[in-house]
Amino acid sequence: MSILEGLKFYAGDTAIHKLDPRVKFLVSMLMLIIVVMYAEVWMLTVLIAVQAVIVYIAKVMRRWLKTIKGSMPLAALVFGLNAIFFISTGTYATLQEVFYHSIALAYRLVLFLSSFSIFFLTTTPEEIGLTLTSWRVPYPYTFAFISAIRFTPIIAQELRDIMDAQRARGVELDRGGLLQRAKKLIPILVPLLANALRRAYELAEAMEVKCFGAAKKRTSLRELKAGPKDYAVLLTVLVLFSLAVYYRFFPF
Amino acid sequence: MIKFDNVTYVYPTGVKALDGVSVEIGRGELVAIMGENGAGKTTFIKHLNGLLKPTSGSVYVDGKNTKTLSVAQLSKIVGVVFQNADDMFFLPTVEEEVAFSLRNLGFSEEVVQKRVDWALNFMELEEYRKRSPFLLSGGEKKRLALAIILAWNPQVIAMDEPTVGQDSLQKEKLKEMIKQLNLQERTVIISTHDVEFVAELKPRVILMSRGRIVADGKADVILTDGELLSNCSILMPQVAATMSRLADLGFNAKVISVEEAVRNIVEGLMRFEHIRGA
Repeated sequence: MSILEGLKFYAGDTAIHKLDPRVKFLVSMLMLIIVVMYAEVWMLTVLIAVQAVIVYIAKVMRRWLKTIKGSMPLAALVFGLNAIFFISTGTYATLQEVFYHSIALAYRLVLFLSSFSIFFLTTTPEEIGLTLTSWRVPYPYTFAFISAIRFTPIIAQELRDIMDAQRARGVELDRGGLLQRAKKLIPILVPLLANALRRAYELAEAMEVKCFGAAKKRTSLRELKAGPKDYAVLLTVLVLFSLAVYYRFFPF
Repeated sequence: MIKFDNVTYVYPTGVKALDGVSVEIGRGELVAIMGENGAGKTTFIKHLNGLLKPTSGSVYVDGKNTKTLSVAQLSKIVGVVFQNADDMFFLPTVEEEVAFSLRNLGFSEEVVQKRVDWALNFMELEEYRKRSPFLLSGGEKKRLALAIILAWNPQVIAMDEPTVGQDSLQKEKLKEMIKQLNLQERTVIISTHDVEFVAELKPRVILMSRGRIVADGKADVILTDGELLSNCSILMPQVAATMSRLADLGFNAKVISVEEAVRNIVEGLMRFEHIRGA
């Protein structure tokens, strides 16, 4: 659930918060491309160090670390599954290699989540909406996307409440084997789904009442406008990205 | 029965929800935990069955420290009914919902059937036993949530905001059920903002503000103290507000229920008549 905390916007007045959301999104995407290109642990470590500096400037270190902590069970699963796969198929000759490559894959997953966590932690849902609209994404899809982001913390809280309600009636979620634990998810997931569907209907009704979709062409109170700082950041990041791509194919 | 010994609870977000709370609640007591939003009422309730364990201090239920018991073990003694009944339901029928908790807690199938029948009957849900819980009205859902908890006969019943979303008829039914449970020597703890509901029940009131207990006593003392209530963003019950305005005329200002108020006013009027006649 701490992963979901990392998708929630936290207001701030830092240079990262003030950056154009399109630049922030592009930076996140470029970091993601580097993660996909490199399987070397050293490069991934450099990348996470860069992210840590950005997070420090944005003053969202605690929340970002929560995302990383929350991604650990998933990373452990990726590590385990890959190790089993590599050993069973004999992909690598030594156990050390199996360990290294499994770690690298788990590390990539953590980096994937941590890159986007910075974007979501420092960008308001409105800014995300404006970014998508400026890229000519049809507004109904933009609205669906920003609604999903907005409801994420609410659903996370609801999940906690449902777990409490079920534990109060004797459901021991952290006991039993894998199959038993999977079965115990039913009392959690059914109410969660039912509540989410009800909320979706309510939201749809509220949007109908507000004449959603009545005007073909939408206007916006705020327009995104990139400034010199945004271009400077974009240029720096593009240079670094080009270097990373060059080094991947033509190592010094 | 329940003892909070200097309990402080800090959420992972850093919010201190309980701040040095010490209180004892005896067997068979009827208690209302009151206070503004964020006062710590729900956090208090969640400590009763071990859903939350104190950051510092200790909570004892039936003499046992909650840190040493699991939620399931504590739930056998303390049944907690949460504000949103929908969070509980996932089975196709009302009777299966009630039976589910009993099976979780290890009751035999014979006992499960008997307890389901009893709980549905007590909460007047017998006619809905084959219906989907999702198709019940708001009030019926609340009653089903209470039936689920009552089915295993816990000694303590705690309800978080039981009157939210209830119409006056449902509130009246709930009030009668709480009185009935209390008559059966069960400890009943309700956390609520609803002063009118509390005024009619006349329980012991524990008033909370910013994680601390600011007052603890009889309902007619606490719910007639305008300054104290105002400090906790709570309005005086209408009856108490009316009687306090009549206090200058010699009426008793420490009255919170309609019945008492009527008796007081009638007595007062008779006194006036007597004076006028003389």
